[in-house]
Amino acid sequence: MLTTSERIAFVLIALASLLLTAHGVSRIVRAIARGQGRPNWGIFFRRVIPVSLDILLQRPIFRTRPFVSLLHAGVFFAFVFYGLVNIFDLAEGFIGFSTLHRGGIAALYNLIADLLSVAALAGMLGLLIRRFGLRPFRFNERVLLLPSVRFGISRDSAIVGGFILLHVGSRWIGQAVRVAESGRPDWSQPTASLVATLFHGWNEAALTMASHVTWWLALGLILAFLPYFPYSKHIHLFMAPLNLILREARPLGQLEPPTSSDGTLGAERLEQLRWYQLLDAYACIMCNRCQDVCPAHGTGRALSPAALEINKRYYLNRNLAAFAGGATSPPLLEIATSKEAVWSCTTCAACVRICPVGNRPMLDLIDIRRALVNRGDPLDPNLQSALESLARYGNSFGKPARQRARWAKELPFTIKDARKEPVEYLWFVGDFASFDPRMQENTKTVAQLFHAAGLDFGILYEDERNAGNDVRRVGEEGLFEMLVEQNLAALEKAQFRAIVTTDPHTYNALKNEYPAYGFRVPVYHYTEVLAELLERGALRVQQPLRAAVTYHDPCYLGRYNRITAAPRRIIRALGLELREMPRHGENTYCCGAGGGQIWMDSGGQERPSEQRIREAVALGDDLRYFVVSCPKDMAMYSDAVKTTGYEGRLTVIDVARLVASAVRIDGLEPESIPVESEAR
Amino acid sequence: MTIVVVMEQVPDVVEELAIAPSGTDLDRDAVSYVVNEYDDHALEEALLLAEATGDEVVAVGIDTTGELDQALYTALAKGARRAIKLTGDFEGTWLSTRAAARLLVPVIQELEPRLVLTGVQAPDDLDGQLAPTLAALLGWPHASVVIGSQLVDGAVQVRKELWGGMTMTLELELPAVLGVQAARQAPRYVPISRVRQVMREASIETRDVETPGDLAPAIMRLRFPEEAGQAEILTGSASEIADRIIELLRARGLL
Repeated sequence: MLTTSERIAFVLIALASLLLTAHGVSRIVRAIARGQGRPNWGIFFRRVIPVSLDILLQRPIFRTRPFVSLLHAGVFFAFVFYGLVNIFDLAEGFIGFSTLHRGGIAALYNLIADLLSVAALAGMLGLLIRRFGLRPFRFNERVLLLPSVRFGISRDSAIVGGFILLHVGSRWIGQAVRVAESGRPDWSQPTASLVATLFHGWNEAALTMASHVTWWLALGLILAFLPYFPYSKHIHLFMAPLNLILREARPLGQLEPPTSSDGTLGAERLEQLRWYQLLDAYACIMCNRCQDVCPAHGTGRALSPAALEINKRYYLNRNLAAFAGGATSPPLLEIATSKEAVWSCTTCAACVRICPVGNRPMLDLIDIRRALVNRGDPLDPNLQSALESLARYGNSFGKPARQRARWAKELPFTIKDARKEPVEYLWFVGDFASFDPRMQENTKTVAQLFHAAGLDFGILYEDERNAGNDVRRVGEEGLFEMLVEQNLAALEKAQFRAIVTTDPHTYNALKNEYPAYGFRVPVYHYTEVLAELLERGALRVQQPLRAAVTYHDPCYLGRYNRITAAPRRIIRALGLELREMPRHGENTYCCGAGGGQIWMDSGGQERPSEQRIREAVALGDDLRYFVVSCPKDMAMYSDAVKTTGYEGRLTVIDVARLVASAVRIDGLEPESIPVESEAR
Repeated sequence: MTIVVVMEQVPDVVEELAIAPSGTDLDRDAVSYVVNEYDDHALEEALLLAEATGDEVVAVGIDTTGELDQALYTALAKGARRAIKLTGDFEGTWLSTRAAARLLVPVIQELEPRLVLTGVQAPDDLDGQLAPTLAALLGWPHASVVIGSQLVDGAVQVRKELWGGMTMTLELELPAVLGVQAARQAPRYVPISRVRQVMREASIETRDVETPGDLAPAIMRLRFPEEAGQAEILTGSASEIADRIIELLRARGLL
């Protein structure tokens, strides 16, 4: 029980603290509301329960770093339960309510509170030791960081960590004092009872004093911390769930069209970002998981998705009153990230997938690109000529559209012209598979497999255009729309049941982007079709293969669209031994070609594709094949195998070539892959 | 003040060219047109000059292809203020450089520019005669093979490429005509959305012109280059190579 003066003091301090806190929160809310668009509160009620369940189970956090996530879970569960604990402790201070030495539900409450206090203390200590002892957070020196960030991260972490330790620790010791006061252990509070033995021999006055001090340290501290809370990373505990709950049910592979404000398409300044991109900054907990998986940062380039969010947050906090009041922010390229960083994003979406609080830093980068492209900022010359070629010829190779299906002339049969006769499958071949001489062999192989399996398929010949997936992601929205219009006009001429694509980027565009333009047709990747043909016996394995292989999931197939099983079903059906790289499936690592990178000069030290080849080589000396299912991967990894010096040791091969070797098609030379009989 | 850029469309050689059954012309139904590469550089240089001085860029072209609008809209989207196309009965003809210059001069005089920029050459003007002919007809100074320019105190300083990697800087009185080899920086990218916006909002001024009588030299026969021999790379020591050269020259009766 508090004294009367203590009670009055607490109420007064609480009022002041709440007022200050409300002031801070309202400024942040007004700042976020300056972003474009408005949240759809309709989905709040639909999503609040399932998302809360996810959070209660700590699912978004356990995607990676299991041990650290465990520490977090300790703190998190304690925090949730401490909502109740703080209320009961308040009641104890004000009206003398106590659960000490009670049985039944009160004992259960005591036990949970007791154990979670220890979990929180252990978890927080562990997290602090990691952050300050092991110092796992480093940005490479090319990353743009606001001056306030460098010191700010540590200070914020120390304050928040210190608060949690002091708050929970005081409450825990306070319980021990109360146990000591009662003169006998409370078995529903085992750890507090253990600590109580330390107070053995203290007189009553000292114990009463200790009980008041610990009460104030536990609950008074909240009042002291509360006004700082909105500006601290601790605010993630409201903003992160909000971010996750209010996220529109949009496929990862579908971008929103650029926003338009003050004549700018996309985002040049903070207030031109969408509201949720500003919320991202406050949801960020600075865990840097996004940076760990970023292929650009991993190859020494200037991009750190974490630094982007942290910069945004620190800029906002330092200029909150002005920004919330309507002041214009400096350009994002001065306060959030650098131009080099913006142009090194591969749009692999690894950062988006890994983020435990639902942030999407990749979208900021794309919006900045949109603004740069539309403002006429000078582009990488290779990118510019690719875009000019796409606008003129519909492909990035600078080749006339009429040559698109030239590869098909070398086949012993004619592929149906889907514009002239109905087909079951319309094969949308894609630029790289059509024009790149290194890829055309694979393309012909796919055609021969489809043909041998009796698949009813056709192509659009010269009317096919680049689907525009990466055009949209370099920020050239107008060109993307033009390509969509041209493709839709061509598709309208054709009759088909479904689309099959070679390129995962094409797959993503047709599947996720085109529906916004009224195009809704089932879309398959060729690995899905080949797996099915093998399984229903339309293609028969004549000669099982015997080799150890690994498979690389393309970002736009594995991560964006979760097609990870079909290629693996094929590999196993052929008799091959599949060895997984550490990063596989949805957790795959980018080859470095996406988001238009394939058209740009990479400025990195080592390319992501080279790192990936080393990852594969580490799977064993006897691993022979690096299996791909994307024409861009074929290009990237064929180069990487040469530059890393593993040519001859590791062969990059398209999954279709493996199928052809096992199925044995007339007129198709099989690869020299060891077969079953030779191995035995 | 005004800077005029003269632009021309030429057949896109990325596409496969075909010869019309008449044997004296390209199959124009199969040809697609692009802006002459050097004219694109002239436009870029003009825009850079205008950005520094606040001048107004006017793109002017003769619509011999019927498709010049696309090029002029692109010029407007890149930053030209006005676009003027000269139309006439040009179907089935190739305009000679001299005739083109005569059609352009009245428009240029009307616009009273302080500079006229055009590409140093074009596939149908490999001699690079357009800029000098315009200059002669207008009576203005002229420089060709320009790789950079600057407007300073009522004159234009131009860098002009000579031979052997040498460049020359000269100053011309205004008004002047420049044949541009390369702009100071690569021609800018113009986003498609801006071109489309310009197509909705801006308009191209049209002037009808009389088709001149002396259009072009009469073409007797048009054909693709015939494959002729192959290159042989001589290897060995200097004296061996010299011996081989003498032998080859002798074999052809040249020595």
